Amino acid sequence: MNLAAYRKKSPWILHYNAGGCNGCDIEILACLSPKYDIERFGMINTGNPKQSDILLVTGPVTKRSRERLVEIYAQMPEPKVVISCGACASTGGVFRGMYNCEGGIDQFIPVDVYVCGCGTRPEQIIDGVVQALAILEKKTKALEEPVQLKRAAKQEEGQLNRRELADDIKPLLT
Amino acid sequence: MGRQYEIPVGAQHISLLEPLHFKFTTENEKIIKTDANVYYVHRGIEQACVTKFKFRQVSFVVGRVCGLCSISHTTAYSQVAEKLLKLEIPKKAKYLRMLVIELDRIHSHLLCLSHVAENSGFEALFMKTMMYREFSMELLEAVCGNRIQYDFSIVGGVTRDLRTDVAQQILQRLKTFMPQLDELVGIYENNWTLSLKNKGVGVLTREQAMQLNVVGPFARAAGLEVDVRNETEDLLPWKEVGFEMITDTAGDVHARNMIRLREIYVSIRIIQNIINGLPEGELVTETKAFPEGEATVRLEAPRGELFYYAKGNKTQVLERLKIKAPTFSNVAGMVKAFEGNEYASAPAIIASYDPCLSCTAR
Repeated sequence: MNLAAYRKKSPWILHYNAGGCNGCDIEILACLSPKYDIERFGMINTGNPKQSDILLVTGPVTKRSRERLVEIYAQMPEPKVVISCGACASTGGVFRGMYNCEGGIDQFIPVDVYVCGCGTRPEQIIDGVVQALAILEKKTKALEEPVQLKRAAKQEEGQLNRRELADDIKPLLT
Repeated sequence: MGRQYEIPVGAQHISLLEPLHFKFTTENEKIIKTDANVYYVHRGIEQACVTKFKFRQVSFVVGRVCGLCSISHTTAYSQVAEKLLKLEIPKKAKYLRMLVIELDRIHSHLLCLSHVAENSGFEALFMKTMMYREFSMELLEAVCGNRIQYDFSIVGGVTRDLRTDVAQQILQRLKTFMPQLDELVGIYENNWTLSLKNKGVGVLTREQAMQLNVVGPFARAAGLEVDVRNETEDLLPWKEVGFEMITDTAGDVHARNMIRLREIYVSIRIIQNIINGLPEGELVTETKAFPEGEATVRLEAPRGELFYYAKGNKTQVLERLKIKAPTFSNVAGMVKAFEGNEYASAPAIIASYDPCLSCTAR
């Protein structure tokens, strides 16, 4: 089973509202609906962090949802991509500086794609998610590189002969 | 007497749009006790409105309290500020405000219905309702310039005029929407599969609703005649444009669905009346006064009664602003209506309340 191929064809989305106004959330729902139809990229909205590849976060981080956000990010398996949806999630937006708000989500978890707008349009969300797909592919390759190197060495002709390698530097040592 | 189990739902869950935490105590799959925890998204907007922002800017900030009913918040704040300024706004601005509020009500109710269908396990109906809902978003974009967060009401009036071609477009799209709405009513009313999950589930009786002070479609489904549009005439002339009270008696999830669908018919009629009888006049009344004294305003948001209180002290910045959102009144009823239901039907019941927690927590 080639997991990387499935990940590329069908990334699963996890959506978390870290304290926003619901505006971006209903636009994410509109993305799932027939007019914008994000499922043509094979994406499904899932509720389980352990099965998802892309994390969509909306809203500024409130002090109470901060731990939940980091916990959800930590539970997602590698490789993973984070998209911040909307002005609030990217910078704090209009809520910046309010006493219970921390500001943008990039203070707590690494963000790969920023989507602007208040509220974001569905076209922008789809654009951001398609960009995230390219990043996801890159991350998958980076993750599998050491595995591929080992496999290539094995396939050539057995293992490397250490004694032959040592012959070159033997005169220098004595 | 079986063993009791505690099942948590939230703060992050597939059936929830927002962080909301319920702790169900169940016995033999039946819910016997519920704890609700709704303040995950408290941001401190009320405090910021009286320190960071001037009173004309606040109408844009309170729109960000909630993305679903942002026009209700901006309108309610504008009205309370106009009361403090002792300002009379043009009749055309009142009509345009009502137009956008009713368009917003259509999109909000259809979103709630689709969410109920999805959480009951009827994915195809979710897709169908969302497909039919898209016309209202396009109309809102044509009228206000944005799909959500309209920023349409300001202190003293409205920001945009209604163009004649947009008005014609609205009437035309509503005409094509009517048979689609009839189709939706047929499905939600008669579908046998959906009725298993909806009929007789999550019942709140009329007496309980009255005791727990429930508002909005949640109360009207239980038989209470609670609607601000029926009570006040001084700020927005609802009865002039053909408002009609709709109630049901059953008080279950099915009754709430039917209330929302039938209210969409009333909203469509109101929009048609507004466009056909739109008065001529200015959009904004200008003034250089400062807010002074105290005032309260009540407005019917899609989820129920929205309450605003403001106090001014003759400066640019308000002294106090208080927002009471409809879901805040409904939390007690929400917890009560879970009792005695199967745990499996909890997601559909949550969706049928149409909870808006960013309103509640502010």
